[in-house]
Amino acid sequence: MSYIKINQDKCKSCYLCIDVCPHKLIKKSNNTGSTGELTVEFSDNENKCIGCAQCAIVCPEIAIEEVTRE
Amino acid sequence: MQVYSIPKSIKENSKFTFCKGCDHGVAIKIIAEIIDELNLRENTIAISSSGCSVLLYNFLDVDCLEAPHGRACAVATGVKRAHRAKKDEKFVFTYQGDGDFASIGLSESMHSALRGENITAICINNTNYGMTGGQMGPTSTMGQLTTTSPLGRNKEYHGFPIKTAEQIALCEGTQFSARVALYDVKNILNAKKIIKKAFECQLNNKGFSFVEILSSCPTNWKLSPQDSHKKIAEELTKIYPLDIFKDTTND
Ligand SMILES: Cc1ncc(C[n+]2csc(CCOP(=O)(O)OP(=O)(O)O)c2C)c(N)n1
Ligand code: SF4
Ligand SMILES: [Mg+2]
Repeated sequence: MSYIKINQDKCKSCYLCIDVCPHKLIKKSNNTGSTGELTVEFSDNENKCIGCAQCAIVCPEIAIEEVTRE
Repeated sequence: MQVYSIPKSIKENSKFTFCKGCDHGVAIKIIAEIIDELNLRENTIAISSSGCSVLLYNFLDVDCLEAPHGRACAVATGVKRAHRAKKDEKFVFTYQGDGDFASIGLSESMHSALRGENITAICINNTNYGMTGGQMGPTSTMGQLTTTSPLGRNKEYHGFPIKTAEQIALCEGTQFSARVALYDVKNILNAKKIIKKAFECQLNNKGFSFVEILSSCPTNWKLSPQDSHKKIAEELTKIYPLDIFKDTTND
């Protein structure tokens, strides 16, 4: 099971990760972040994440701190 | 298997203070990854400049000096030569904005290239003076609206923008000059490869190496992060083509 770790304190809600995830596993959370907008969260109930790390590569904040591929 | 983690050369618990969606964060992230991969952390002196690029010293876990506006290549020259004289070779690179490198500092930048100083210069081209509120820069494009060109840049009044990577490639002392972008995964990975090459140019004592990075400034462009990347992909790369303009590193 591949997964990512998001640090919500660092998320500035640019949503570049939402656009790049091939399986649309990142979505807006219910938490308001430092820019006053909703931060993002990862949810993968069907184990679709392939650990490609594209989300981490595009994140300008290094808010996606870990990607584990299995 | 962990396939991604925070680069070791990023200071612990750092939180970037750039605007939302700004490519400065991506640029610093890949530079930190390269410093890790080449094992340069203990041997690097980074020279930051005036502009949003100055913030590098808050985030990169290497020794840093801040140069006066435009003078980063001159400071880097001194740092490199002084350490060499002491037989204490350091890896020295600058991190500068387009206004810093190619306007106020053009003389220092170009003469460092002409002298063939064995340093690496990185220039973040966001086509304006970002930190001071989006004034016209040397790289602002024809017709671009900025706070000091409210009717758009025009050739009669403002003249033409500078193609920095092409100009630096013309200097005999330059051994490597390229332009990259960060608007998608493929370009970010390519940028990393090219910057690594520029760093290796210095490590192999070849001479001056330079990389211009087309970078978004969503705040002053008044565009979303997504539309800023679209502008780079569709507009800016036509004016500022992505290419390696000089590479003698294999000669
Ligand atoms: C000698 C001097 N003149 C003017 C300034 C004011 N100033 C600070 S940052 C800046 C513009 C920086 O633009 P650029 O180099 O493109 O960097 P960016 O903020 O866009 O990344 C200016 C004019 C200064 N710090 N020092
Ligand atoms: S002003 Fe522009 S370059 Fe500076 S941090 Fe904001 S978006 Fe980035
Ligand atoms: Mg600039």
